[in-house]
Amino acid sequence: MLSVLLRIGWKKLWTLFFVSVISFAVIHLAPGQPSQIDPLNPRFTPEQLERYRKAFDLDKPLYEQYWLFYRKLLFTRELRSFKDSQPVLPKIFERFWNSLPLFLVGTILIWCYAFPLGIASAIRRNSLFDKVTTVVVFALISVPGFYLAYLMINFVVQTFHVDVIGLRTFGREGVAPVLSLMDRTWHLVLPSVLGATAGIAVLSRYVRSQMLEVINSDFVRTARAKGLPEDAVLYKHALRNALLPFVTMLGLLVPGLIGGSVIIETIFAWPGIGRLGYEAILSRDYPIVISLNFIAAVLTLLGTLLSDLLYMVADPRIRLEAE
Amino acid sequence: MATLTESRPSEVTISPSRLAWRSFLRNRTAVAGMLACIVFFVVAVMGVLLTKGEEPVLDSRQVRLADKLRPPLSLPNRQAVSAENLPRLGIYLLGTDDLGRDVFARMLEGAFVSLSVGFVAVGIAVAIGIALGGIAGYYGRVRIGIGALRLMTVDTLVAGLIDVMLSFPAFFLILTVVAVLKPSILNIMIVIGLTSWTGTARFVRAEILALREQDFVQAAHALGVSGPRIILRHLIPNAIAPVLVSATLGIAYAILTESGLSFLGFGVPPPEPTWGNILSDGKNFLFDASWLTIIPGTAILIVVLAFNLFGEGLREAFNPKLRQL
Repeated sequence: MLSVLLRIGWKKLWTLFFVSVISFAVIHLAPGQPSQIDPLNPRFTPEQLERYRKAFDLDKPLYEQYWLFYRKLLFTRELRSFKDSQPVLPKIFERFWNSLPLFLVGTILIWCYAFPLGIASAIRRNSLFDKVTTVVVFALISVPGFYLAYLMINFVVQTFHVDVIGLRTFGREGVAPVLSLMDRTWHLVLPSVLGATAGIAVLSRYVRSQMLEVINSDFVRTARAKGLPEDAVLYKHALRNALLPFVTMLGLLVPGLIGGSVIIETIFAWPGIGRLGYEAILSRDYPIVISLNFIAAVLTLLGTLLSDLLYMVADPRIRLEAE
Repeated sequence: MATLTESRPSEVTISPSRLAWRSFLRNRTAVAGMLACIVFFVVAVMGVLLTKGEEPVLDSRQVRLADKLRPPLSLPNRQAVSAENLPRLGIYLLGTDDLGRDVFARMLEGAFVSLSVGFVAVGIAVAIGIALGGIAGYYGRVRIGIGALRLMTVDTLVAGLIDVMLSFPAFFLILTVVAVLKPSILNIMIVIGLTSWTGTARFVRAEILALREQDFVQAAHALGVSGPRIILRHLIPNAIAPVLVSATLGIAYAILTESGLSFLGFGVPPPEPTWGNILSDGKNFLFDASWLTIIPGTAILIVVLAFNLFGEGLREAFNPKLRQL
């Protein structure tokens, strides 16, 4: 068991290394040096050039630049945002707390709706219900997220005449804590529902095809043949086996925390991580951009590590194979 | 002898691909998706023919400030717009935008741009996916390294690459790279392609792992056929089904990603119209000119939906465990 853990950990470390290299290399993609990113722009002052040189140690060889960058980011905390000279990590962490409720509510919505939907369509394959959900689900996957968001905002604002943008209603500071909490909760509704729609759609399709594969397999036929009631066949024998792969998906949710939220947080003026990333890209605040890509990748790696372990606990076949 | 004649293939035998095709045709939503994709192709090609060239039939770049923000099916203002600038159809079929450009012509031209973004991006992704998946599947057990040091197997290396790619938040990475490189249609195609090959690579690898032990591959090997040739001529054609599926779904993904980039201001830059940037420009006039949002938005929805349904139908048809008989 221990050797398996060590092997998994060793692999993740390698992945982490390459992730850090790619995150850092992204800014060197620009033609010439990162310091020459925009030489013709009159707003690109010598002062800025100096900041680039300092932040990325451009006078040193590449491997040293790489090493110094991560040391500054993680250990000495010298790496500062170009925009306001704040240390990068605390700045990201502050935004993280704003994104967290959005992410949690969205994830809960996804998992609560995707599974019943997918299982119900698989069991009633080719029924009217299945056909309608298939088309609706694919429509939700296919609609550009911001288009749906604008239609929804338009509808909600014109029908209910309420404020939906931002963390809380503008100008409603200093009211009773209960009211403030209710206000904040309401402001959470639209962005998290919109953020979850695509997730619900995609996950329910996975659940459906996974369930279908299991329902068509031999052991389910055996369970039926030996006269088990249909409910026991479906929910005990089939469902348990169909759910196994979803343990691994727990880990893959994490990148959504940053990548999936860029558009939604921009639309709703939500001061979270995704919007921080977008603002950083707009103002060419590279320390933030690189760190966000890197941190998101690290979180994903931790998530997949967790799901690998869960998988070994849940599925004895994997455990045996690994040993 | 008797057994020989009995086991001879009779009329009843159907090849697997024929079986998959039959099962696909029975899936009506998937067939509808395929038909919509074909219509989209035709529209996109017609769009190029009608809107490109010195004297385009429908001019998508003609600015008519007197006729800005006219709703669909409205007639041009004949006093303010000179005769040669009037829309060719005599009517603004889908209205005009904030510069008085004909939305119908822009949508037609944008169809081809969106389609080519999807195709080139998917072409790149599929090429990388087939190459890496093929190498990992066929040469998977070969150990590579520096000098005499045998560090890891080819399979581990490719699996590692896939892990690295999957670790990044895909959309944010695309956004970063496009922003650093400056958005242009070529950059967007390349970046979307470079970040979305992992699915194809995994499918191809799995398929080739299953195929490489089969007799026809052994036979080719015994005849002295080289490795790359076995991969390209014998293995890949047999593993094409999952590639087709992920390519179809990939086009849908690329069109959506381009529209997302356009929304954030990093899409294909003007004056080149894509459905994504028509939509993201239109959203500024959501209340005054809702057709500028609804027309491109719905068009993207329908086309992406068509590719998704088509791809999903192919996936079900090619997967014996999901196939409906």
